[in-house]
Amino acid sequence: MSEVFEPRIVAFVCNWCTYLGADLAGTTRLEYPANVRIVRLPCSGRIDFNLLIKAFEVGADAILVSGCHPGDCHYNTGNYHARRRWMVFRPLLEVLGFDMRRLHFSWISAAESRKFQQTIKQVVEETRELGPYQYPVPPAATSGKGHEPQKSHFDAAAAQQRAREMLEAKEVDVVIGYGSSGPVFVRRVEDVSRITCEDTRLNLTTYLAKKEVRAMGRPAILTKPMDAGALVVLERESQIESGAVKTIPIGEPGAGDFSDLDALLALPPDARMAWWAAEFSRCTRCYACRQVCPMCYCERCIADKNRPVVIDTSPTPVGNFAWHVTRAFHLAGRCVGCGACNHACPVGIDLRLLNMAVHRAVDEHFGFNVGADPKAQSPIGSWAPADHEEFIR
Amino acid sequence: MSEIISSDNLRKLADEWIGQGIHVAGPQRSAGCVLYLPLLEPANLLLDGFVHPANSAKEFLFPKTEALYAYRIEGHDVKLVEQPETHVPQILLAIRPCDAVAFPILDHIFNWDFADELYNARRRDTTIVALACSVHDANCFCTSVGLGPASQRGADALLVPLTEDTFEVRSVTDKGRSLFAGKTKTDNVAAMAAAGPEPRFAAEAVRRFAAANFEHPLWAEHALACVGCGACAHTCPTCHCFDIVDEHSARVRNWDSCQFSLFTLHASGHNPRPDQGSRQRQRILHKFSIYPEKFGEILCTGCGNCTRNCPAGLGVLPLLIAIEHEEYLPA
Repeated sequence: MSEVFEPRIVAFVCNWCTYLGADLAGTTRLEYPANVRIVRLPCSGRIDFNLLIKAFEVGADAILVSGCHPGDCHYNTGNYHARRRWMVFRPLLEVLGFDMRRLHFSWISAAESRKFQQTIKQVVEETRELGPYQYPVPPAATSGKGHEPQKSHFDAAAAQQRAREMLEAKEVDVVIGYGSSGPVFVRRVEDVSRITCEDTRLNLTTYLAKKEVRAMGRPAILTKPMDAGALVVLERESQIESGAVKTIPIGEPGAGDFSDLDALLALPPDARMAWWAAEFSRCTRCYACRQVCPMCYCERCIADKNRPVVIDTSPTPVGNFAWHVTRAFHLAGRCVGCGACNHACPVGIDLRLLNMAVHRAVDEHFGFNVGADPKAQSPIGSWAPADHEEFIR
Repeated sequence: MSEIISSDNLRKLADEWIGQGIHVAGPQRSAGCVLYLPLLEPANLLLDGFVHPANSAKEFLFPKTEALYAYRIEGHDVKLVEQPETHVPQILLAIRPCDAVAFPILDHIFNWDFADELYNARRRDTTIVALACSVHDANCFCTSVGLGPASQRGADALLVPLTEDTFEVRSVTDKGRSLFAGKTKTDNVAAMAAAGPEPRFAAEAVRRFAAANFEHPLWAEHALACVGCGACAHTCPTCHCFDIVDEHSARVRNWDSCQFSLFTLHASGHNPRPDQGSRQRQRILHKFSIYPEKFGEILCTGCGNCTRNCPAGLGVLPLLIAIEHEEYLPA
């Protein structure tokens, strides 16, 4: 028997256009390869990226996502939302070195049976040439980039002074500051000396989600230049009320540095994928990245959902890939670049690079400044007619 | 009389072992961090210039994820699929004494009401060559739990730094003796182990406090900064809790952590440990009260990894010191 590789294609299609187009292809006897498994969903806007990742996990060699043409959506705008999410998801996968030739997106209407036939044929042929999809096997010994925690020098005396004033004036009930090792929660004026700003790895706004901290009353928080943006995002997402949290800014703002991301992007995709496989191979799923993140305030994270399991909890190459992609994507338009996840990772995975990719995508495509305006609409929850779609068939 | 080996010869020996198909693991620099990793290139083996790797050596006997068995569903039947033997003879080279001692401590739990063959098989096929510490940092506290920088327990052989590039080899077991037989030079100099950290607390006082103060404001106060991740447990040489899940047609056990809110969450939604205070208390109780009462040993080797890796600078040490000195603020 000859060993012909038959690619497995999973097509996630919308109920109202592409599925009907496929149906029409069947009734009009248009033949197309049997390699495709169709998964019908109400709308392309419903297609969660975890479904795509899951498809690859269980053996898909390529994915097709297809919905109604712009203007045709049964729910008016679902396909626009899908298009916009792809504009952010694709740069994320590119940084990971994912083979983008295995991801296909098309608009196929209920009448376009021939387009459906042609698209499937093309996708199958292209995938046949690529060969089976395989998760990269991490090299046995890894040489990740890692990071050294930076000891920053901030003006502790000024922060102490401000904390004292706020507590004395009873403007706030607690000042959350940086101590000699980790954060300190200062409730009495005589304790402000505990704010020494020696260990400043965390973004202290993360404690606003904690009920014990909320119970202390009105807080003031020491914020490093990149940290304060988190308060804007939390307000945008109705987690805190406007002006409810006082800040004590420390440090001078610097410019965002994307040079590490550019260096990674200069590598060929295979090398990027291998590099990330090595990085992720060290991940034990301690979730320190998630727990220190001010934006990861979900009461039950998608990674902890077990009915059904959305993301494998096992720290395998497959599970870790799904976890880190999902987290980065969930931070799209929300990550403020404070770097707390990087500092928290015990095994030095440079998670910041994933967040930077997404950050740059929302900036370049939508001109969105994450930490600027609490009233601005989230870039992932909105869309624009001008959103580009050169990646859509 | 003592047995001496140079670091060059030690690396050559490691190369021989690798050539024999033995899996060797030891501390290596992975850019920003020092980690215990499988050793492929003996030149990369770190023999000085670090206090403790960011991970622990337990992962070579108790991996972070491991399939217990696989299965296939055929009609109404479930067929078990044999798992291939995954372990090979291995040598853990230049692991810290605080990692080596963790294995005899873990032997109790893995052979208590059920003999864990996956762990035991690896344990039998593993030879442990510990490396005595010449430096310690502010997070180290082995001397407070009855150990020290040149503690031999759990090791088959102990390397004690003699000069910059020579070590005294102290064979502890036959396994260790045969490993170095004919590979060392006999001399009459003896290496002096470096001084360990000053004792930071009395383990017995901690046990008494923990056993008597299940309800105490200290727990909640101390846990305020805890973000609830598993960095402490996952990098701890002795933390051994695992979760069992079915994924991809296999029953898999993965490391878990008592600091996760999910750890004790009931299906009903009730959580008997509803806050970080009760979870931190559990970690201390388990290590300093429950385990000693059950097995006669403290479930802590003083490596300091929990504090070293804690994003919020906690770990057990600050809490143990607070218990000792009762230096806490009343709520």
